[in-house]
Amino acid sequence: MAMVWARLAFIVGILSLFHAGYSAAQHRAYLRVTEQEYTALPTDISVQGLLSLLLAMYGILHIAGDFKEIRANVQLQNKSWETVGNRPTFYTFAHRGRALSPNYVMPPSSSPQDMVETLPS
Amino acid sequence: MATLDLDWEEVRDQLRAWREDNTRHSEEVVDTWEHCLKHYKTKLGDERWMVEEQVFVAGLDCNRLDIADPCLMALNEQFPGSLRVRKLRAMRFEALEKFDEAMEVYDNIIRQDETNSTARKRKVAVLRGQGRITDAIKELTEYLKLFMSDSEAWQELCDLYLKEGDYSKAAFCMEELILSNPHNHLFHTRYAEIKYTQGGLDNMEIARSYFCQAAKLNPGNVRALYGLFMSCTQVLSSPKLSAQKKKETQQLATWALKEVSER
Repeated sequence: MAMVWARLAFIVGILSLFHAGYSAAQHRAYLRVTEQEYTALPTDISVQGLLSLLLAMYGILHIAGDFKEIRANVQLQNKSWETVGNRPTFYTFAHRGRALSPNYVMPPSSSPQDMVETLPS
Repeated sequence: MATLDLDWEEVRDQLRAWREDNTRHSEEVVDTWEHCLKHYKTKLGDERWMVEEQVFVAGLDCNRLDIADPCLMALNEQFPGSLRVRKLRAMRFEALEKFDEAMEVYDNIIRQDETNSTARKRKVAVLRGQGRITDAIKELTEYLKLFMSDSEAWQELCDLYLKEGDYSKAAFCMEELILSNPHNHLFHTRYAEIKYTQGGLDNMEIARSYFCQAAKLNPGNVRALYGLFMSCTQVLSSPKLSAQKKKETQQLATWALKEVSER
């Protein structure tokens, strides 16, 4: 819900900014036509421009989300070697974890102990 | 096999977090997929294919080919002829221990696309899976001559050298990693541990300074603090040390022990 308001605020801010810019251009054209001096923009146009800038900034900050910490080592504080030293492109699957799956089939081995265990008692 | 009460959106967010965090929670991924997210496949949108890939690798890891195969078929249907899907198929061969076929597929991929780095890295993984560590080292050094800024590959090379017991070369790899990530306290700790293992007064002093740096970067790293204490005691036990340095090292050791006991 907050996202919808943020998006709305951003769009309204940008449109209002364009509107302020367009009206400033119109104002200058009017002054040129009536041969008046151009000293400053009328206050309402500049106030509108400033407010629409702030509105657009508010909207975009909510859309963009949280800031990330600027110090590079702070986000590593709680990470262990397990996560940082993980190398997903080098995963091997030939480990003992295979035996934990329900599909595991014991490989036929020929050690003397197994032969003893399979002797008919 | 009932569907758990988990909210499928929560599961999707959790999988995304694991994907970005680079962690290996294969069993949990398989469990949550099987019991919850599998039934909401179509609601995932664009993210579906990344999730399918993640579940596929997790399924291979847990030896659950019944989970992995449907994912591969779905990916193949969506992206026919894609090199990434072909790489996944080769990983499936690896999981079934059909290493020669896997190597063939990787060679084909490399022939088709010279710049594909993941296929080359998988070749190293195949050699490692077969237990041919020296061949894996050779292949990985060839890869690093071409792609020298790949920090994951340097980490893997360091690990392979440690398996072989070649500590000086492993220390060199860690140095490369520290050069590219100087703020990472874990790399400093690992480097210091390798130097400590090598032994000798010079290596012990280097280990001590790197443990100090790791503790400075992250005061919560108990491993670095304890390593600092151990390397200080080792340095103190050596005969040729000036009295000034002895006192400093002793103070450092007592400080480190105090920090460890506080945490």
